[in-house]
Amino acid sequence: MASQLREVLNRFADRSAPVSIKRMAQEMGIDPNVLSGMIDYWVRKGKLREVSSGGEACHTCGIKGACPYVITLPRSYELAGDDDAQSNPPCHCGHCSS
Amino acid sequence: MVAQPITIAMAGNPNVGKSTLFNALTGARQHVGNWPGKTVEKKEGRLHLDGQDVIVVDLPGTYSLTAYSSEEVISRDFIINEQPGAVVAVVDAANLERNLYLVTQLLELEVPVIVALNMSDIARSRGLTIDASKLSVQLNGMPVIETVGNSGIGVDALKAAIRQVAATDTTNPVTIRYMPVLEQEIAQLTARIQTIPDLARRYRPRWLALKLLEADEDLISRLQAHRTLLQHAEAAASRIEMATDEDAETLITDGRYSFIQTVVSSALTRPREALETRSDQIDRVLTHRLYGVPIFLLLMWVVFQFTANVSAPFLDWVDGVISGPLARWASALMGAVGLGGSWVEALLVDGVIAGVGGVLVFVPVLMSLYLAIGILEDSGYMARAAFVMDRVMRAMGLHGKSFLPMLVGFGCTVPAVYATRTLENESDRKLTGFLVTFMSCGARLPVYVVIGAAFFGARAGNLIFSMYLLGIGVALFTGWALKHTVYRNKPPQPFVMELPPYRVPRLRDVWRQTWERTSSFVRKAGTIILATSVVIWLLMALPARSGSLNDVAPADSVFGTISDTISPVFAPAGFGNWQATGSLITGFVAKEVVIGTMGQIYAGEAEAVPETEAAPTLMADLTMIGTSFVEASALTFQEVVNIVPRTVNLVPGVHLAEANFLGMDAEEEDTTTLEAALTQVFTPLAAVAFTVFVLLYTPCMVTVAAMRQEFGARFTLYQIGYTFAVAWLAAVLVYQVGTLLGLGV
Repeated sequence: MASQLREVLNRFADRSAPVSIKRMAQEMGIDPNVLSGMIDYWVRKGKLREVSSGGEACHTCGIKGACPYVITLPRSYELAGDDDAQSNPPCHCGHCSS
Repeated sequence: MVAQPITIAMAGNPNVGKSTLFNALTGARQHVGNWPGKTVEKKEGRLHLDGQDVIVVDLPGTYSLTAYSSEEVISRDFIINEQPGAVVAVVDAANLERNLYLVTQLLELEVPVIVALNMSDIARSRGLTIDASKLSVQLNGMPVIETVGNSGIGVDALKAAIRQVAATDTTNPVTIRYMPVLEQEIAQLTARIQTIPDLARRYRPRWLALKLLEADEDLISRLQAHRTLLQHAEAAASRIEMATDEDAETLITDGRYSFIQTVVSSALTRPREALETRSDQIDRVLTHRLYGVPIFLLLMWVVFQFTANVSAPFLDWVDGVISGPLARWASALMGAVGLGGSWVEALLVDGVIAGVGGVLVFVPVLMSLYLAIGILEDSGYMARAAFVMDRVMRAMGLHGKSFLPMLVGFGCTVPAVYATRTLENESDRKLTGFLVTFMSCGARLPVYVVIGAAFFGARAGNLIFSMYLLGIGVALFTGWALKHTVYRNKPPQPFVMELPPYRVPRLRDVWRQTWERTSSFVRKAGTIILATSVVIWLLMALPARSGSLNDVAPADSVFGTISDTISPVFAPAGFGNWQATGSLITGFVAKEVVIGTMGQIYAGEAEAVPETEAAPTLMADLTMIGTSFVEASALTFQEVVNIVPRTVNLVPGVHLAEANFLGMDAEEEDTTTLEAALTQVFTPLAAVAFTVFVLLYTPCMVTVAAMRQEFGARFTLYQIGYTFAVAWLAAVLVYQVGTLLGLGV
């Protein structure tokens, strides 16, 4: 029998449409906060990745995360791929450097 | 004889009210410092319990006791090395299961634990019933105390529990039992650790066995002297993985969650109605499979009605102040210092004020847009927009997540380009890089507003909405075409999102966001747009063939001549004049400059008309500024009220009358100088074609730099070529088809 943690990964892999954490937790019959904890576990293990909405995209910017033009979206997660390790070149957006 | 003080540690997840409870226990008797060698804050306090001195140490907030963060290492090292008399595990009663994960790890350390069920009032308000005594039974008699830290409820009971645990100095160990194959290896490893006195004295053997099976990097690095033990642990972990097809750490973590579920199942009762909150009910409509997209479009329509019409009175007011009194005062000042009629005055009035001022006029428009977007963001709707659009994106074969950078693109294309990094696959990143440039950024909005106000009056909002919709449409079509040709790859993975509950937008947060975005726009006007305005003025003041500086008709200037040479390219789109072409060239620097340049061109051309009226006095100017401001405020209020009937009137067959308590409507509002000039040069159809071109061609040079950095020079060149071709084709299509149909010619 697959462990509950493994089931989380399987559900990520089997999805054909996006879903909220709350909905996925309901489907699994567990508390959404527990599912968040399980997702954090897989993020630490590198099997899932957190998707930033872009606010953190300008990694060298002095006001990264506070760029006024970035629309803040909540955390999202997806299965991690093989080419996750990527460099983050500096931001030259023109708004951040000021 | 005075008893030795005993030490109590307080552990808990972040934001569970641990510090509040710590303060309630220790009062003012606290010492704040740092943990040795760390920048993590260490708080210590004291309390007296029946003559017993107790030192209370507030451990950093952590979710677990693994070694993934310095806070976690500090907490577990303290418990292992200092062996406190008890650990008070502060648990958020409203998030019991998640919080109990840390408790399971404290239990594995075989330290006496007291559970403080904090924020139990919030848990109750959510309809959660926790039977503390049953929870205690499940935890082998461990004290479980309900507390509300900020009102002091349960603090005395907690003190009594601390006193009792400290006095008895005994623990009722709770052992979490894992699956047999795991237990077998744990037992063997534990036995081996017990044979190593150094380790058996320092660590709880079962805990150390678990950690070694979990491949805890921190402990492994500390135990390098015990190579044989580490090799045994490694072999045990391999055997577990062979037998179960799962790694030991995952099985152990899973075992802890199973233990928590068993513990909680008899002690926690949830209300049935809690399964569907108000947010869930709203989501059933707003993220519905069928209605979700139309509702998204309707909301966007309302946003652009708000942006165009509500800001229009203030736009007129700012334009009146800048092109009227401000320009006059600047001329008067120049005259007073002996520079009247000189090139300096021309630079100031026709260059800086017409160029920068022409862009600053749109501050009310941008502010309205950012205010509307801020409200949608803060209410929690924007997250749903990405959710809703996922279906549309996937129907086109695109990655639903591509819409996240595209949403960012509504604000500015540059961070949207960087936001493509959220996509894992390089071809998806490049594809999304293509799409984001078609999303209508804030800088393009002034162009739509000017064209909309000049040619469509109160229906300007519809033009703006159409442009945003066209941008999304072209992006989706481009994505679909590229996905089926250049960027073929595996079907995209859907994402899982932490959707926040809906809430009434907080005025302070919305205002802060609006202010930051608007002030960023104003700063841009003071730098890049100012510099461009000066360069354009210079090119417009320099004669192409003969003449002297600042003594040339704009059409005969270097700028006018270059623009005129290129202008035939745009003739099929209906705007083959040098003014429009010149504006599009400078728009490559930044899209706001399109309007700034037009302001400069038409300010220069208007000079030919001599002024016949006497200049108003300073007092008359100030009175005009004041009264027109009051009028603009009243009109704005009227426009806000009219959003309701305009939205309801979208339903076929319904017609609600619009409010007109000021006796004037948007159709009667003054047109700006620029709007009046444009109606002389463009037909309505040509103006729409021009707007379409502005929407679709390369956003700006900063975007180009960002794309070159992210995707390389060759990709960027393709991108520029593609956007230009698409923009030109679309503009020509609009003009030619419109002409054939006899629309707006």
